[in-house]
Amino acid sequence: MLLKFWPAKTDVKFMSFRTIGMICSVLLIAASAFFLSTRGLNFGVDFAGGTVMELEESETVTVQGVRSAMPISADVNSAVGTDTRSIIVVKFGEADGDLLGEAFQALTPEQQVERASGATNEMVTRVLKEKFGLQDSAFLRNDSVGPKVSGELFRKGITALGVALVLMLVYIWFRFEWQFSVGAVAALSHDVFITLGVFSFLQMEFNLTTIAALLTIIGYSMNDTVVVFDRVREEKRRYKKMADREVINLALNSTLSRTLLTSGTTLLALLAIFFLGGPVLRGMSFALIWGVLIGTYSSIFIASAIVLLLGMDLNKKPADDAPGFQSAS
Amino acid sequence: MLQFPAWKILLILGTLVWGVVMALPSVVDMSGAPGFIPKKGVNLGLDLQGGVYLMMEIDEAEVAANRLEVFAIDVRGALGRSGDKKRIGHLSKVRDGALFVEMTKAGANGDYPVDEAIERIRKVNPTLQGAIGGAKMFEIAEAGRNIVRISVPAAANEAIMKDALGKTMTIVRRRVDPDGVSEVSITPQGVSRIILEAPGEADPQRLKDLLSRDGKMTFNLVESSPIEIEQAQRGVVKPGYSLLSGPGVGDLLVRDIPEIFGSDIATASQGNDESNRPKIDFRLNSSGARKFYDTTLKNSGKRFAIVLDDVIMSAPNINEPIPGGSVQITGDFSITEAQDLAAIIEAGEMPAKVQFLDQRTVSATLGEDSIRAGMRASIIGLILVAVFMILAYGLMGCFTVASLAFNIVLLLGALSGLGATLTLPGIAGIILTIGMAVDANVLVFERIREEQRSGRSPVTAVQAGYERALSTILDANITTFIAAIVLYLLGSGPVKGFAVTLAIGIITSVFTAFVVTRWFTSIYLKAFRPKKLAI
Repeated sequence: MLLKFWPAKTDVKFMSFRTIGMICSVLLIAASAFFLSTRGLNFGVDFAGGTVMELEESETVTVQGVRSAMPISADVNSAVGTDTRSIIVVKFGEADGDLLGEAFQALTPEQQVERASGATNEMVTRVLKEKFGLQDSAFLRNDSVGPKVSGELFRKGITALGVALVLMLVYIWFRFEWQFSVGAVAALSHDVFITLGVFSFLQMEFNLTTIAALLTIIGYSMNDTVVVFDRVREEKRRYKKMADREVINLALNSTLSRTLLTSGTTLLALLAIFFLGGPVLRGMSFALIWGVLIGTYSSIFIASAIVLLLGMDLNKKPADDAPGFQSAS
Repeated sequence: MLQFPAWKILLILGTLVWGVVMALPSVVDMSGAPGFIPKKGVNLGLDLQGGVYLMMEIDEAEVAANRLEVFAIDVRGALGRSGDKKRIGHLSKVRDGALFVEMTKAGANGDYPVDEAIERIRKVNPTLQGAIGGAKMFEIAEAGRNIVRISVPAAANEAIMKDALGKTMTIVRRRVDPDGVSEVSITPQGVSRIILEAPGEADPQRLKDLLSRDGKMTFNLVESSPIEIEQAQRGVVKPGYSLLSGPGVGDLLVRDIPEIFGSDIATASQGNDESNRPKIDFRLNSSGARKFYDTTLKNSGKRFAIVLDDVIMSAPNINEPIPGGSVQITGDFSITEAQDLAAIIEAGEMPAKVQFLDQRTVSATLGEDSIRAGMRASIIGLILVAVFMILAYGLMGCFTVASLAFNIVLLLGALSGLGATLTLPGIAGIILTIGMAVDANVLVFERIREEQRSGRSPVTAVQAGYERALSTILDANITTFIAAIVLYLLGSGPVKGFAVTLAIGIITSVFTAFVVTRWFTSIYLKAFRPKKLAI
């Protein structure tokens, strides 16, 4: 079928472009570091604490109206809605204790810290319900997270990323050699860091779902890298005399059509989520689309280039096959 | 690689049938099906069906302090007069996480009987349940010439917390779901937290109001002397009494030591009075009923107050002794208020107040929107991928699409079979699986193409293609699987749902790509014996 038009043997000298690739990556990393240090990440309530509400927009409930009705300072904006309704997003932190009633003031100082965002939520919900005559169902979403939990969620999220990276490192080390595992983890860290940079640059909300997306990017990018590495190892054993550089080029070329096909189908599926999956999934699918692109790039220009830089010694133990899976019949 | 004995084919078909049976209830209404067919579809997360999520925490310090308050009563008993032992005069107070017992009377030689007090308190110190070597619950030590300090050691604290968490969970369930009919889920997290998920609930405030009350219910006698009340209102409260108030009864001087406790109440429910206004009925258990009869017998002509969390709910006059232990509170309640109060009274007193750390509400309408959008994205994604694969690989692409459909059925079946929860990120996980499931097929097909190019016949090319692609497929999927496991272990809520679908999706897609597509291919090769595979 269509693949017949794809040349049977491509011969792209990927490794000749590795310097250009490295320069691009270094620039991207520098830019990410710059944005992360100047703009930082736009943390959602999961990690920053506070409250986020989503109200259904109507003739009476408007962005302007809600903004002026808010008893405390808040970000009130219209957001991308679903097919049938427009959504107003209201984001705010904690109100001063004297606005929160006697029951709140009777709490101990530690309890007040924990309860503040919940109590503020209660107060604001009451005010909005009274002002616009709203029912419970008008609040499409109403989330409040206290400082203790948001701190924990953030630590857990970061831990998850770290643990995943270490496990990948160990797995690749076990299946290949340390050079490969360094290359793979460098590529993964590169992907994660630059994705963080993009989130900082676009000031997109960074929340729990974003962490899930980052972990998936790690998984996907790893998948891609492993396929290339597998081929490198195979070709290296087949052509013992061939220079590393040529071996890697050969491996990249022979996996090229697979790389493009897989990225292509995954991107198609992800684009469907991005455009049709509704507002809640937009941030996540954006991160994943970006991750597929950068993951494919990094398995060529970071992971493979680093293996080339560090050199392989697969030849030294030709008989000693890597441990693991034998083909089943 | 291409031999499929009968048992293998049966196994594949069996898996497919299992997947269809498990997946069907999620797609169509199966209520009319025969008994052995599952009728429950995949669980939907709160983000898809709407509802309230609350994370609450019980305060360790408060739990310990409340336990010490209870022990203070035992201490009073131990230091009281019994048999030939004399009473040891003392004052006790809980502060800074310990109970301080201060002797008030020195002996003849000017010394305080601290040693004797410690000995007598030790006798009532309960043994820690499940502890090795009969460890005791409290640590009792001298803390000054006339002071004994009673504290809770770490091991006991753990046991007390465990007990308190269990009790709180029971009370939370009884308050939120008194009839045991709703789908509320209450799960512990760590040592001090409880997560409540109430699908279909739209008002987090009602749940919070229900749960933030202590639920301490008592019947206390009332001191009716107007002079005493007046004095108390000026700030001079008669010792042993407190000035409390409540809607409709005003200020009353109430005796501190109750006659009837919350634990004496057997059931409470909402009813209606003669003029059809909601009221709360409750029944005392047998010992409570006896106490109530004795109290009403002895205190005829007085008033008693029914006090809930320091608020007087009702203060009727005692006209005659009341047998039977049936009591009612009338007042200005709405039906919901009366129901909630009945649930609180019946559930009993919380070991400690709960704090709400994290509250999330999603409306049912937003959930429906999300399901619709997710379904549409899945279907369009699937069609796009199918078209792409058929265009790229022709007939082999069709095999892939067939096994992809198989994959989705299995994934859905496994999700409902395992009782996993489908969340919105979980739907994204399914779509991502659709995209990535193709990868294993692509890896194999690319190998087959290469083998064919080097001059092999279709059968040997397919054989070699599958053999050589296996280790790559496993390597590539195991790494993604590791990421999914980490996500599951460290994620929460919707993210966990994503991890589950991703992990199950990896397993089903490797199975379908490696077994099902291969089976289709082998059938094709046997039936048509093509000279060359169009791939």
